[in-house]
Amino acid sequence: MLTRHKLEDFILFLQKNGWDVFGTQKRENLLEVDHLKYPADLKLEKGVPFYSFKRFFIPEKEKLFEYKGHILKAEELAPKKTAILGMNLLDLKSVLLYDQVFEKDPYYQARRRNLLIVGHSLIPDMSQNIFEMTLEEDILEHLSFDIFLAEMSFAKVPAIRTKKAKLINEEKDNGEYAVFTGSLLGQKILNDFGYKDYINIQFSGPVKEGKLDERMIKIQDKLKNKHNQKIWDELGARCIECGKCTIVCPTCFCFRIDDKAGLENSEGERQRCWDSCFYQEFSEVALGHKFLNDTAKRIHFWYYHKFARIPEEFNFMGCVGCGRCAAVCPVGIDIAEVLKNIENS
Amino acid sequence: MFNLYETKTAKILKISDHVPGIKLFELGFDKMHFQLRFDEDARIYPGQFIMLSLPGFGEAPFAPCNKPGKNLELCIRAIGKLTNRMHILKVGDKIGIRGPFGIGWPIAGAQVQSSKFKVKNEEKKNLLIVVGGLGLIPLRTLILGKNEFLGKDAKIQIFYGAKHPSEMLFRNEYESWQKDGVNLQLSIDKVCEDWKGCVGLVTKLFEVVSVVADARAFVCGPPVMYKAVLEKLKKYGFADEDIYLSFERRMHCGVGVCQHCGIGSHYVCKQGPVFRYDQIKNVQGAI
Repeated sequence: MLTRHKLEDFILFLQKNGWDVFGTQKRENLLEVDHLKYPADLKLEKGVPFYSFKRFFIPEKEKLFEYKGHILKAEELAPKKTAILGMNLLDLKSVLLYDQVFEKDPYYQARRRNLLIVGHSLIPDMSQNIFEMTLEEDILEHLSFDIFLAEMSFAKVPAIRTKKAKLINEEKDNGEYAVFTGSLLGQKILNDFGYKDYINIQFSGPVKEGKLDERMIKIQDKLKNKHNQKIWDELGARCIECGKCTIVCPTCFCFRIDDKAGLENSEGERQRCWDSCFYQEFSEVALGHKFLNDTAKRIHFWYYHKFARIPEEFNFMGCVGCGRCAAVCPVGIDIAEVLKNIENS
Repeated sequence: MFNLYETKTAKILKISDHVPGIKLFELGFDKMHFQLRFDEDARIYPGQFIMLSLPGFGEAPFAPCNKPGKNLELCIRAIGKLTNRMHILKVGDKIGIRGPFGIGWPIAGAQVQSSKFKVKNEEKKNLLIVVGGLGLIPLRTLILGKNEFLGKDAKIQIFYGAKHPSEMLFRNEYESWQKDGVNLQLSIDKVCEDWKGCVGLVTKLFEVVSVVADARAFVCGPPVMYKAVLEKLKKYGFADEDIYLSFERRMHCGVGVCQHCGIGSHYVCKQGPVFRYDQIKNVQGAI
């Protein structure tokens, strides 16, 4: 068992060994992901952080090239070793998507090789877990992580909600963790730290063999084959296209590529940065035609991507069910409700 | 690891002033191993596209249009930041190219890339090309390489609509196209002096000309054109499987990641830009 005390030692160990250590922390009652100044600041708890962990995998803005005249020069890719502690199961799911989408992207791959992902087992409450993800026995085989900390109240009594188990769960930070590794990197680091009491889990792909998610199939079928314009017209009338949902969403990864001129003539940077399909120019082509030319089309595009196009490409949903989009939406569009409407349409 | 955003340098070898606001650029590559050519060991197929890169001015997709086996040519209208910059470049200037990307027109050889484009109806050896405005560009290679791509016996009929006779692309080549047996039918949007031909949108040609028999149809043009052309094609008995459409979309990556060109479950940059009509006819927002 890894005690809280030992976990904090491990954080110090990472810091001493050149890792830039980030972790979930409490700031004015909000769970945030930030630099871990003191190991004691790490807060492992049920909720999902306000912002997702997306920026560690796909930064808001990154330099692809420096250019001078017509010549592009790629930066040498040597990202800093970064450890992220406290990824919950839902956010861990989004890593599966990043890994697939950016499989052939050298910038992503270089960053990914230098990331240490430490997940934990505390499951968010329903409003932040709309697909009711639970800690099933084989769940770790289908997640991508380096180290996973299973809170003991769950590890021992997963289903039985005894008074005692609940109590331990609430006092989680004093708890003990069963430790799992999901990669060679995870094993190596624990060995170096001197901790051997872990079980290694062999990753066996993002999707359980022969077991596609039924809800995914149903929603995908509705979107693909039974388009219901009424749903999108109603949403289009409500949505104000602020794009907040795309910023907090762990699985919104679309981007644009821009050239940013430097001070010297004909010098500058080619950058890749987050984009949002809610923005007007997202689909604009030469002469000004926009293929997504109203709000209804744009919000449909957002849902279609997550619940039809991604399932078609990768056999899993492009949504982890964290409910962040609903929490920030200024007009109260609730993804759980929208999905129910699609299913029942 | 291969960097898919890296560009290859090409040199502008020749610039032809074509039509007001439109120029044809002939390009040569520094390194022989990156000759983008439409020929036997083709690195590029008609209907595919490349990303043109002018650092400081961005990137955008363009369909090459040269004769097979010849240097790469891009026909570009000055309309935005990138294309206006392209127009002030001179012979000898260098530009960046990446690609080729996507799946082009279904012709012998090109299908190798994607089995879904296997031509179903083999006896339809002829070709009806319906294009509007700049939509002629991605089909020029096919027209110039007719015998190689379609065979000597195949007939090509072109319905080409432009705003004004002065905006018709590749005018100096029409005679030689016709000599090669291409049936070229032109239409202009509005009546103008010295024009004795058809007046009306490109769809008007269906009413005044008899359509080539045993043909597949390749369509490319401005977004507004597709619906009307499809209506005509269906009226003239073209099966969905015999109609191919090339789509224009905004693109940033060219490899099916950035999402800008998504339609339904497809990416125009990856599964397109040429689609067979039956594959996308029920996709919301495709046409």
